[in-house]
Amino acid sequence: MNKLLLVIERDVRLFFQYKFLIIMRVIWFISQIALFGLIASRMIKIPEVDYFKYYVAGLSVMTLYSAAIFIGFDIYEDAEHGVFEYLLSLPVSRRQLVLGRSIGGGLRAFIYVGPLIAVSLYVIGSVEPVSFLISLLALFLFAFGVSGMSITFAVLIKSSDRFDILMGVLDALIVRLSTAMYPLAVVQASNPTYGTIASFNPVTFASDLFRWGANVDAPVLNNPLNPLLGIIAFFAFFTFVGVIIYDRRIEGGGWQ
Amino acid sequence: MENLTKKFGNQFAVDHLNLDVQEGEILGLLGPNGAGKTTAILMLATVIRPTEGTAYVGKYDVRKQPDKVRHLIGIAFQEPKMLWVSTPWDVVNWHAKVCGLTTSERKKRVKEVLDAVQMWDARHKTVHALSGGMRKRVEMAKVLVQRPKIAIVDEPTAQIDIVGRHKIWKMLREMRDEGSTIILATNELHEADVLSDRVCIMHRGKLLVCDTPKKLKDSIVGGDIIDIQFEKAPSPKAVEELKSFKEIVNLLQTKPQNLRVYLNHVEDVVPKIMNMFSKKEIAITSMHMSEPSLDDVFAHYTGLTIEEAQKNEA
Repeated sequence: MNKLLLVIERDVRLFFQYKFLIIMRVIWFISQIALFGLIASRMIKIPEVDYFKYYVAGLSVMTLYSAAIFIGFDIYEDAEHGVFEYLLSLPVSRRQLVLGRSIGGGLRAFIYVGPLIAVSLYVIGSVEPVSFLISLLALFLFAFGVSGMSITFAVLIKSSDRFDILMGVLDALIVRLSTAMYPLAVVQASNPTYGTIASFNPVTFASDLFRWGANVDAPVLNNPLNPLLGIIAFFAFFTFVGVIIYDRRIEGGGWQ
Repeated sequence: MENLTKKFGNQFAVDHLNLDVQEGEILGLLGPNGAGKTTAILMLATVIRPTEGTAYVGKYDVRKQPDKVRHLIGIAFQEPKMLWVSTPWDVVNWHAKVCGLTTSERKKRVKEVLDAVQMWDARHKTVHALSGGMRKRVEMAKVLVQRPKIAIVDEPTAQIDIVGRHKIWKMLREMRDEGSTIILATNELHEADVLSDRVCIMHRGKLLVCDTPKKLKDSIVGGDIIDIQFEKAPSPKAVEELKSFKEIVNLLQTKPQNLRVYLNHVEDVVPKIMNMFSKKEIAITSMHMSEPSLDDVFAHYTGLTIEEAQKNEA
């Protein structure tokens, strides 16, 4: 357990060493709200939806997603600097290592997005405490799941360029085919297949739950249990499948 | 190590290595780059898996019980393994934590070790801002702070100045004296000679010979060396006559006025040599006796000096 915490600690500390990246991301986040959110909400009118608040909540989830993905790039950074070999030689089991990295990747994304969520809540205005706590827990699991997914792809692909491209494509597909930026009804109306995919998308689950918790008046959620279960399944799959794949790929030098 | 083998494609990086490392010794693995030292070490550290054979660390098999092996081993890699955004203090302190040092012990030892490797003042600089030698010292500091049961150090003093080199040697000896077993991979002849209790010479993945440095040097036929400098170049006839001495194994004319003589029983032969040249009125300006080095041992087994072998591998 102690070793697991140390692996988590390492990843969290390392992330916050990238000060330039963090500052730029914060500027990006604020600009998205202050520019795109404000301007686009004047243009987009959806019945029963305050698009500005809707967008701000979705933006928080998108930012959480991209921060959690970052751990995969760290894996390549580790490999490039030979740190991977060092980590593999430590008295830490492979499971502790991958679980620690997965949790560390999620946790640091969550810590990073925390102040941004506070900004979102300030913009949104009102919060339902119990449902908000549930939605925070869901975002927490979502971040771990994304981080596990990123690690899984990173060790499977073994090429930082390909990984970079795949993450770009995934980002485009997962985020655009979700309710992060537009309600499900609009997605479904544009194309039923898109709607079906968006209904089973973890970004949709996270966005809908966050809006539910942040009390954004959007017709998004009748039953929060379904997206919550969806996020738990996503988290469990990529955390535990990730552990197995990581274990198999790295033990004995298969990562080289 | 029992038939420890690693193949990359069709190439043997380590070729059926059989070797026993004694508890509490410093074992030097000497060989040029590409000899298989680092690959053997990475297999011992469970970072890569053997293609064939295995190794036992303590009583644990590196193939079957890698987790147990990792608890006994500490490794300082040839190339420092750290992210450029980290600081020496972060690197060594976190390493000490992972290796299970208690808080008070860790604080004390991290300071001691960073002081000893002259990195205390630079402890909060990022790795990016450190020189190659400083990074190497931080890499060494990890093992020194850990004091593992079995310490593996790969070219521990590469890029380190002579003062730092002696400090690291001293600390490795102290670790050995406190009960650690040390496996030292190096291509530095002097380092292997002065630091190792036993030296194993590797070339092209194979283990050629393994013994104490003294025994290795003594084992070479013609194990004494004399460098003779003459006032004028000796005649070919005189050189031929010298060659006919039964104690002389080999003779090289390194310069027209210089001869390098490989021989046995140096104490008996020197008076005979001086006598012979005196009779021929060939003046000797200097005569220098030396022992063979590990390079001579390497050359004896491979036909190449380490430098030549390194060039060939490159």
